[in-house]
Amino acid sequence: MERISELMDGELEARDAQRQLARLKQDQELALCWSTFHLIGDALRGEGPLSREISNRVAMQLAKEPTILAPRSYAPKRVATYAVSVAASLSAIALVAWIAFFNNPLAPQPSEIATAQPAPAVTPEHLASVPSEGEANDLLRAHTEYSPSTAIQGLAPYIRSVSGTQQAKGQ
Amino acid sequence: MKAVWATVWLGLATPVFAAAPAPGDDGVAWLNKMASAARLLNYSGTFVYHHAGRNETSRIVHFVNTAGGEFERLEAMDGPLREVIRTNDQVTCYLPGTRTVIIEKRSARRFPALLPERLAGVSDSYAVRVTGKDRVAGFDCQVVTLVPKDKLRYGHQFCAEIANGLLLRARTLSEKNEPLESFVFTELKIGGAFSREQVRSKYAPKSRDWKVDTSSLVLSDVATDTGWSLKSQPAGFRKLTELKRSIAGRAAMVSQIVYSDGLAAVSVFIEPLPRAQFPQSLSHQGAINIYVRRVSDHMVTVLGETPAATVMQIANSLEFRGAPGR
Repeated sequence: MERISELMDGELEARDAQRQLARLKQDQELALCWSTFHLIGDALRGEGPLSREISNRVAMQLAKEPTILAPRSYAPKRVATYAVSVAASLSAIALVAWIAFFNNPLAPQPSEIATAQPAPAVTPEHLASVPSEGEANDLLRAHTEYSPSTAIQGLAPYIRSVSGTQQAKGQ
Repeated sequence: MKAVWATVWLGLATPVFAAAPAPGDDGVAWLNKMASAARLLNYSGTFVYHHAGRNETSRIVHFVNTAGGEFERLEAMDGPLREVIRTNDQVTCYLPGTRTVIIEKRSARRFPALLPERLAGVSDSYAVRVTGKDRVAGFDCQVVTLVPKDKLRYGHQFCAEIANGLLLRARTLSEKNEPLESFVFTELKIGGAFSREQVRSKYAPKSRDWKVDTSSLVLSDVATDTGWSLKSQPAGFRKLTELKRSIAGRAAMVSQIVYSDGLAAVSVFIEPLPRAQFPQSLSHQGAINIYVRRVSDHMVTVLGETPAATVMQIANSLEFRGAPGR
C-alpha cells in the first residue's frame, strides 16, 4: 500500500512505477487503495471524473470510519497495515478536516456574508504605501497557497514572494 | 460500502476530461476550466511578470505523471537566481544568492480553492463576462473579464486558451482600470511527455549545506479556532480557513485566517510582538497590499491581492475574543 502511495506521489523510478502499475491491475485490493487515494485528492479539489454526489457519499462513509485513515499518529503499531506515506496521510488528515469544515454548523454560510462595515480607523489616505522590500515574503508565500487565484495560475504567483526587484530583506 | 467502492472504481475508469462541458459564454465555467487546465495539463513555457513598470521573466514547467502526481518548476531568468519547485503538496524555494532553501508544506493541494462552490461565489462580487477573443504566445484565447461590483476588490482580465482553458494571460486592474500587474506567457508548449528531469531542482545537489527553513504542517495546523475574528467582514468576503501554523524563519506558531471573495484572498497573520519596535506600515507589490499594525500584544500582518483599503479595513476590524479551550 505504501508503494502505491509513493507511486501516486511520483516517488518511484520509472521501472519500479511500471511494476507497481502492473500489480495494480492484478490485485483488486490494491486497486481499491489506488482509487481511494485518488478519490481523496478529487474530493479535496472538488472536481474530477466523479460526480459531486458520489464524492459526498463516499466522504460521508469516510467520516463514519475515520479510524481507517487518520489514527497513524496515535497507534502506529496497531494500524501498521494502514500506514501510508506521509504525503498520503496528510491528504487524509486534510480530508477529515475538510469534512469537519463542511459539516460544521459554525462554519460560515453564504447567508452570513457581511454586507455592511464601519469606516476603518486608519485609511490609506492617512498612511503612504511604500514598495514592498520583501520583509513579508514568508507570509506572502503562506498566503499564496490558500488564494483561489493561485488555483487558476499554477506556480506563477509564487514569483511575487521571491521577486528579484525587491531588496529581499525578508530572505 | 462495497457498492460505493465499486461505483468509485467505475467512475475512475472514465477519462478525466469527460466531466468538463464546453463553457461557452459562462464566465464562471471558464474559471473552473482554467483551474482544471492549470492542474491537469503538461506545459512548459516562458512568462513575464510585469509590475510597477518592471518585467521579470521566468521559465515554468508543469507535468502530471501517469499516477496523477503534479510537478512544477519555476526558474527566474533575470536578476538574482531563484527557483521554485512544487511536488504535489510541497513548495520548495531555492535562493542560491543567500544559500537558503525554504520548504512550504501545504495541508492539501490548493485546498480549498478549487471547490466549485467557492468559485461560484465569484459572481456575487464581480460581473463575470466572456468578452472576446485574443491571441497570446501564438495561441487563440478567450477573454474573460471580472468587473468588481464595489471598491473592495480589483478587476481582473484573463485570457484562456480556447480549446483546453490554460490561462495564458492574467491582468489585475486598479479602480481606475489601470494594470497593476500581469502574468503573460511569451512562449509556450502545451502537451509533451512527463519528464522528471525537467521538474527537478538544479540546486538540490548543491544545497545540502544551505540554510533550510521549514514550515511543515502538523495536525494542529488544520482548521483551528485561533480566538481571533473580525467585528465585521468586508462585503462579499467569507472565511476560507483558520489555522495555527509554523512559518519559515519564525520560532513561534502563527495564527492565519484567510478570507476570500471566491477569487481574491486576504490573509491575516497574528504573531507575538517582535523584540524590535515596529511602526504600522503599508506596502505594496503589484496587486498585493501589505498592512502591518499592532493589536493588543500582537503583531498583525494583513496581506492580499485587494486594494489597500480592504486589507486595512480587515486589520482594523480584528479583535481577540479570548483564548479557546482555556
